[in-house]
Amino acid sequence: MATMAEAIPLPDASASEPGSQREHLMLDPRPRGEMNDMVMESMHTTSKKFWGMVIFLVLTVLFALVGAWVYMIAEGMGVTGLTRPVYWGIFIVDMVFWIGISHAGTFISALLRVMKYEIRRPFTRAAELMTTFGLIQAALCIFIHLGRVWLAYWLVPYPNGRDLWPNFHSPLMWDFMAITTYVIASTMYLFMPLIPDLAMARDRSTGWRKTLYRVTSLGFRGTEAEWKHLKTAMNIFAFAIIPVMFSVHTVVSWDFAMSTRPGWNSTVFGPYFVIGALHSGIAAVMIVLFMIRSTMKNMKYFIRPEHFDFLGKLSLIISMAWAYFFFNDYLVPWYGGNKFEQLLLDFHAHGPFAWVWVSMLICNIVIPWAILWNKKWRRSPWLMLVIGIVINIGMWIERFVIIPVSLTITRMPFTWRIYKPSIEIPITIGTFALFMLLYMLASRLIPLVPVWEVQEGQNAHTLRKVGKAKIPSVGDID
Amino acid sequence: MADTLTLLALFADIDPTVLAIDKLHEMGITDEKMDIVSGIPFNQEVLGRPKLSTFIPRLAMGGAMIGLIAALFFIFGIPGLYPIRVGGQPMFPIPVFFIVAFELTMLGLMGTAFLGLFLAGRFPAYEPKMYIPEISDGKIAVVFPCSVEMQAQFKDAMLSLGAEQVRSVEAKSL
Repeated sequence: MATMAEAIPLPDASASEPGSQREHLMLDPRPRGEMNDMVMESMHTTSKKFWGMVIFLVLTVLFALVGAWVYMIAEGMGVTGLTRPVYWGIFIVDMVFWIGISHAGTFISALLRVMKYEIRRPFTRAAELMTTFGLIQAALCIFIHLGRVWLAYWLVPYPNGRDLWPNFHSPLMWDFMAITTYVIASTMYLFMPLIPDLAMARDRSTGWRKTLYRVTSLGFRGTEAEWKHLKTAMNIFAFAIIPVMFSVHTVVSWDFAMSTRPGWNSTVFGPYFVIGALHSGIAAVMIVLFMIRSTMKNMKYFIRPEHFDFLGKLSLIISMAWAYFFFNDYLVPWYGGNKFEQLLLDFHAHGPFAWVWVSMLICNIVIPWAILWNKKWRRSPWLMLVIGIVINIGMWIERFVIIPVSLTITRMPFTWRIYKPSIEIPITIGTFALFMLLYMLASRLIPLVPVWEVQEGQNAHTLRKVGKAKIPSVGDID
Repeated sequence: MADTLTLLALFADIDPTVLAIDKLHEMGITDEKMDIVSGIPFNQEVLGRPKLSTFIPRLAMGGAMIGLIAALFFIFGIPGLYPIRVGGQPMFPIPVFFIVAFELTMLGLMGTAFLGLFLAGRFPAYEPKMYIPEISDGKIAVVFPCSVEMQAQFKDAMLSLGAEQVRSVEAKSL
C-alpha cells in the first residue's frame, strides 16, 4: 500500500464543516499553545449565572443533605420510611446508583485506552472525574444508611480493645473492601494523567492558582524519564482497574444475591448489575459532556457531535445487553414456579409500583432503542442529553425496584408493607446537588480536557490518499 | 578542565529534533549526557535513543504480593485468632478468599505503582530545575552540556537544523 498511498498534511484549523474530515477532532489539529489557552480560558471564565448556580447548590447541600442528615442522626432512623420488611431503602438505592455512575469513567478511560480507541481522548478526564465524585456520593450514602455513623470505623480491620474483627465472610465486608479499593485506585488514576496538564496550567497561571498548580504538578517538566514512568504507571492502572471496576459492582450485587430472598437470590445478578452500571454511567457521561460543551468556553472545539455519536452507539449496545440480562433475571424465576418468586413478579408488574416497573422498561429499553439507532439523532447533543437523563431515571428506578419494592414481598405475608420514603428524598436531592457542586467547582480548577493526550492523538493521525479518497490513518505511537 | 554550561535547543517538531540528536552524537555528546524535554511523550524508538527502563512494574508486583499476604491474613489469620462461626460456613472458606485476595492484591498492585511513580520520577521535586514553559506549548527541547569554547559551534549546528532558539539555561523554580 505504501506505493499506492501517500500521506498528506492535515488541513489547518478552522470551523469544522459537517461531512468533512475537519469534523473529527483528531483530524482538525490546532497548535498546542492555542489548545492550552482555550482550556485555560474555559477554566478561568465564570459568569454571574455560574456563581448563582454554585450558591443555589451550596444551599441545597446544606439544607437537603447536611441539615436532613443531622436531623436524622439526632432523631434516629425512625424518621426515615424504613420499617419491616423494608430495611434497605433509598439510601441503598442511591449507593448502587452512584457506584453505577462511577463505572463510566473507568470504562471509558481505561478500557478505551487499552483498546486504543482514539475517540476517547478529549473526554476521558470528564468521565474519570465523574468516577471519583460518584464514588464520594456512594460512600456518603453508605455512611448515611449506617444510622449510627460514628461507629463506621468498626468496619476497619485493626487490633482493638473489643477483640472483635470485621467478618470477612460477609458480602458487606467485601463491599467495603471493593469500594475502598475502587475509590483509592480511581482517584490515583484520575491524578496521574492530570500531572502534565497541571504542569501546563502552572506555566500559565499567577497568584494562588500558580501555587496550587505548582504543588499539584509535583515539579513535572516532561523529561523522557518522567514520561516513561508516567506512561508505565498509567498502563499498569489501565489494565488493573478494569477487573476492579467489574468486581466492584459484582460485589455490590452480591450484597443482595447472597441472601435467599425472593428476587435477589440470582446467579445472574453480578453481570446484570455491571451492565446496569455501564448503562447509567455512559448515559451520565452524555449529560456531563453536554453540560461542559454548552456552558464552558471553547469546549465546542473539543467535544463534538462525533463524540455523542460514539457514546450513543455504545449506549445502544449496552441497552441491548441490559435487556438481555433483565430477561434472564426475569425468565428463570417466572419459569421456576416458586410461589414467592411468582408473587414478587406479579407485584412488580401489577402491584402499586407497576407504573414504576413499566417506566423502568420504557426508559431503559424502549426510548433508547427508538432513538439511538439513528445516526443523525445520535449526533444531536440536545437529544443525547435527553436520552442520558431518561436512561438515568430508568436506572435509578431499576435499583428502586430491586431494593425496596422487592423487599416488600417476603416469605412472611403478615409483614408485607409498602415503603414510603420521607427524609430519604431531601437527602437524595442533596447528594445530586453535591455531585453537581463538586463537578462545577472542579471544572474551574482542573483542566477538563487532557490537552497533551489530544495533541498526542492528533500527531498520530494523518490523511492518506488512497485512489481518489482521503482516508484517515492512525499511527501506533505508544 | 574547561568551563561548561548547559545549552537548550528548542524545536517546533519531532523530525528536526531527531536530526539534532544525531548531530549531537556526531559532535561527541553521548545519550547519557543529553535529555529531551517535551509536552507530549515520545518513545525512544521515535527519538532514536536507548530504551529507558523503569522499576515501577517490579515494584507493583511486590505490592501485589503484599496485598495477597494481607488477604491471607484476613481470611485465614483472623478466624484463627477470633473464631466466629458464620452461616454454617467453614472457618477457613476458600471461595471467600478469592474475593478478598483479588481486591487486596489489586489495591497493593495499584498503590505501589502509584508510589513507584513518585519514587522513580523523584516526585515531588520543587527545587529549581532546567525548564522553559514553551515545552507545554508543544515545543521540544534538547538539553545538553557543552564547553564555553564550543558554544558557538553547537549553537550554529542546532540553528542550521531548524532550532527556533538555542540558549544557555540555568535551573530556576518552576
